[in-house]
This record gives sequence, structure tokens and C-alpha cells, in this order.
Amino acid sequence: MVTPVLVEARGITKRFGPRTVLEDVDLDVHEGETVVIIGASGSGKTTFLRCLNRLETPETGQVRIADVTLGRRSDGRPADERELSQQRRLFGFVFQRFNLFPHLTAMQNVALGPRRVLGVRRAEAEARAVHELTRLGLAEHVGKRPGQLSGGQQQRVAIARALAMDPRVILFDEPTSALDPELVQEVLDAMRALAGEGMTMVVVTHEMRFARSVAHRAVFMADGRIVEQGVPNDLFGAPRDERLRRFLRHLEPHHDR
Amino acid sequence: MAQDGGALRRVLAGLILAFLVLPAFVVFPVSLTPNRYLSLPSGGVSWQHWQTLFTDPVWLSGIRESVLIASLSTALALAAGTACAIGCWRLGSRLTDMVRSAMILPLMIPTIVYALGIYRFYVELDLIGTMLGVILAHAVTGLPYVVLTVTASLANLDPALERAARSLGASVPQTLTRVIVPNIIPGILSGGIFAFIHSWDELIIVIFIGGRELFTLPQLIWDGINENLDPAIAAVASALILFTLAVLLVELGLRRRRQFRAARDT
Ligand SMILES: Nc1ncnc2c1ncn2[C@@H]1O[C@H](COP(=O)(O)OP(=O)(O)O)[C@@H](O)[C@H]1O
Ligand SMILES: [Mg+2]
Repeated sequence: MVTPVLVEARGITKRFGPRTVLEDVDLDVHEGETVVIIGASGSGKTTFLRCLNRLETPETGQVRIADVTLGRRSDGRPADERELSQQRRLFGFVFQRFNLFPHLTAMQNVALGPRRVLGVRRAEAEARAVHELTRLGLAEHVGKRPGQLSGGQQQRVAIARALAMDPRVILFDEPTSALDPELVQEVLDAMRALAGEGMTMVVVTHEMRFARSVAHRAVFMADGRIVEQGVPNDLFGAPRDERLRRFLRHLEPHHDR
Repeated sequence: MAQDGGALRRVLAGLILAFLVLPAFVVFPVSLTPNRYLSLPSGGVSWQHWQTLFTDPVWLSGIRESVLIASLSTALALAAGTACAIGCWRLGSRLTDMVRSAMILPLMIPTIVYALGIYRFYVELDLIGTMLGVILAHAVTGLPYVVLTVTASLANLDPALERAARSLGASVPQTLTRVIVPNIIPGILSGGIFAFIHSWDELIIVIFIGGRELFTLPQLIWDGINENLDPAIAAVASALILFTLAVLLVELGLRRRRQFRAARDT
């Protein structure tokens, strides 16, 4: 991509106890780019996304987004918890299992962040929520609680919730893998539309057709490292690494859509 | 045949229920006796003993002390118990299971043993005979109810919600007040109601550490039974039962509403 780099992760290493889950991972994401991350279960994809927005704290390495270094103030000193919360808002996060707040309606789920974290007035926060939900085709569901929505609808509410905070990047962690097959497409379509509007996105997914048609770049992770990356059609069509070849062989017959 | 069995079972259940509750409810007619000693009313009813309850300064101060002690100890038990349950839920390790078990301990130790221990301890702290002493003791013995009910509420809550809140830039206190607590309000309310009732009718600890300066309602009843047989005792007992029933009905109503809402949502 010719646009400037927006997110720059350098030398990310993460350990859980004695286990090294991420080892020296670098990744640049350009403005408006959609990057897809693939890799076997346990290869560290979720942990990497969480290190990007500091839901997990890496042992070493740095994440920069725009002119902010996560965990550091502009004068270079360590950021406190409150400042880190502010920095974290630059990232939206969409979880595998939606994680909507069960006591709130769809509209309240989306409005809560703008209202309580951004300090927007209630009427304005709710208007923003309705706007985002409408944009995701959920206009008639604004008053429903998560329990009254299908998985696909819940995940679209979760995307609206992330969008309402006006993030610079959205991180998606296997957003369709907890969905019944017939509900996957509506979520992928929403993501495709977002990418089309120029949203910068990092997506962990095994939806290969989505990756081929939407992503500008695909990244393959194995054992806590980025092993290979490239334009999706090249990466999937002519994999060099043996682990990637094996991974694609297992994946393609079942999951391509 | 099956129907006969059903009828028999219902009669039996009714008898057992009557056996359980009638002794408690016998205080209602007794409280209306026109006599000046504990007895069932014969030849008319009288409200004079109820009047005593709400005019006599001794009973009035008993009501006041009981309400004060129960309210404050419940507030303390709620704060500590909710914090403990949430902390254990967030950490979710083996160790926290042990912490939770330890919190239930006051429920299993015989109150009299606990009261003895607390007595020795309070002598050194100079808390004997103080309201603060009783409030603290009741807060501790009320704690298990809160830990149990809040833990039960939390069992249905996904710890990942905290991550969702943080991903939106929420601070830890915001996550607590806007996401976690609203989802476990039913458990907090139930725990508070149980802790309140626990303090409301607790006698042994009050006798041990209340000394001669503090007189809660149960203690006044206890003293009254031993010293004179004033039917006002029956009126007090009836009031205690009515109040407890009212509180339990509120709890039941809240639970109904919750179940209704859960049923509607799915
Ligand atoms: N909180 C944690 N504590 C200990 N180990 C963890 C934790 N989270 C993830 N792991 C381990 O880190 C490895 C990578 O996990 P994850 O990032 O979830 O992989 P992926 O998303 O690619 O399946 C796994 O072996 C997992 O067991
Ligand atoms: Mg994962």
C-alpha cells in the first residue's frame, strides 16, 4: 500500500509463565489497509491482537499507532492506567464471542462507550448508536437485548459498538467462527463494506474467500511468529513455508466460501 | 390410584408445613390477648400490647437499635462480600476457590463458638458493649450470604465482558460500575436481604458482646421471657415475623421479575 503506516508493531514478545507465546513479532499496517492473519489454533493470533491494543501487556516490543506509542506518554515516560485507556480507544476490538453487555439493549450497548468514556451527552450518544446500528442493517433491532438477537446480529451490534468509538483501526478476532454457517455471510458483508469505506482493519479469520477478495495482505503465523506474508492470492496460491502448505491443505476443502 | 397418592402427599405436605410454621404464628393470637400475661385471647381481643410496642421507650429503642445494627452491618457485608466475590471471579484460580470457602466459614462455625472467640478479641479492642462491635460482628457473620449470592450471580457472567469494556477505553472503576455490578444486582440485593435478616434476628452474639448497654429486639424478647411474661413480647415477635416476611416477599418478587425478563429475552 502506498498510504502511510498507521500501526507499527515492533519486536513483540509475550510470555505466559514459562511459555513464549509470541516471539519478536513485527507488523506494519497502512492507513486504509485490511490485513488478514491466519494460522493454526494456538499459534498466538489472539494474543497478538490483544498485545496491539494492550489488553495484554507484551514483555518486550512496542506498538505505535499514528504518533502514539502505547503505554508511553508523549514525553516518553510510562503511561498510567487512565492514559493507557485513552490510547486503547484508538483501536476497536471485535471478539470471537461478541461479548455484548447482556443487561443492555443493542442501542445501549453501542451508546455506553461514547456516553461514559467519551463523555458525549445521552441524546447525542444514542443518536450515534442508532446511526451505527442502521448502517449495519440493524435499525429494527435497536431496542432488543443480546439474548433476543441471533449470533450474526449480535456480532454486527459488536461491530457497531466498536465503530461508535470512532477508532483508527478495528481488530477482529475470528469474528465469524462462533456463528452458525448461515449467519456468517451477513457479518462478512458488513466487514467487506467497512473495508470498502477505507477503514483500517486487522482480521484474524479463516474465511479464505473473504481474505482473497477483501484483504490487501495476508499474514501466516505459526508458533508465535510471522512466518510468511504477501498478497492473499500469492500467499495462498504459492505458499513457500511447509507449515503454511500443510495448514492450507487442511483448511481449503472445508472452509472455503 | 395415582390421584389418591397425590392427595395423600398433598395432605402430608400440608401437615409438615403446618408443623413448621404454626409455632411461629401462634404469637399472632397471643399478641392480641386482653390479659396481662402470655395467653391465648379469651373473651375478646385487645391491641394494647401492640400499642405498648410502639409507645414504650424500651421497645422503641430496641427497634431503633435493631434497625441501625442490621442496616449498617448489611452495608458492610455487602461492600466486603461483593468485592470479595468479584475479585475471586476475576482471578478465577484454584486459590480463589479456597478464599471463597473461607468466606463461607462463619456459616458453619457454631455461632456460640464464634461469639466466644470474638468476645476474647473484643475485650482487647475495647469493643465490648458497643454498637460498633455488634455491627462489625454481624457484618462478618452476614458476609457468607453476600459472597454466596453474588458468586452465584457472577457464575452466569462471562469474564470476557471486562475485556470488552476495556477495549472501549473503560477504566477499571467504570467497568465495575457500568458493566459488572448492573449484571449482578439481583445477587447483591438477595445477599443484602439475607444479611439484613440474619442480623435482625441474631441473639447469641448480641448477648455475648452487647453487654448490658445494647438491647436489640431479639434480646429484649429474650430478657422479657426470662424476667416477666409481658404479652408485648408476642407483639414484638409478630412484628419481627411480619417484617421478615415482607422482606422475603420483596426478594421473591424481585426474583420473579428477573425470571420473567430472562424468559422474555430467550
Ligand atoms: N491467559 C493465558 N494464560 C496462559 N496461556 C495462554 C493465555 N492465553 C493464551 N495462552 C496460550 O498462548 C498460546 C496462544 O494462544 P492464542 O493467542 O489464543 O492462539 P490463537 O488465537 O492463534 O489460537 C496458546 O498455547 C494458549 O494456550
Ligand atoms: Mg484465537
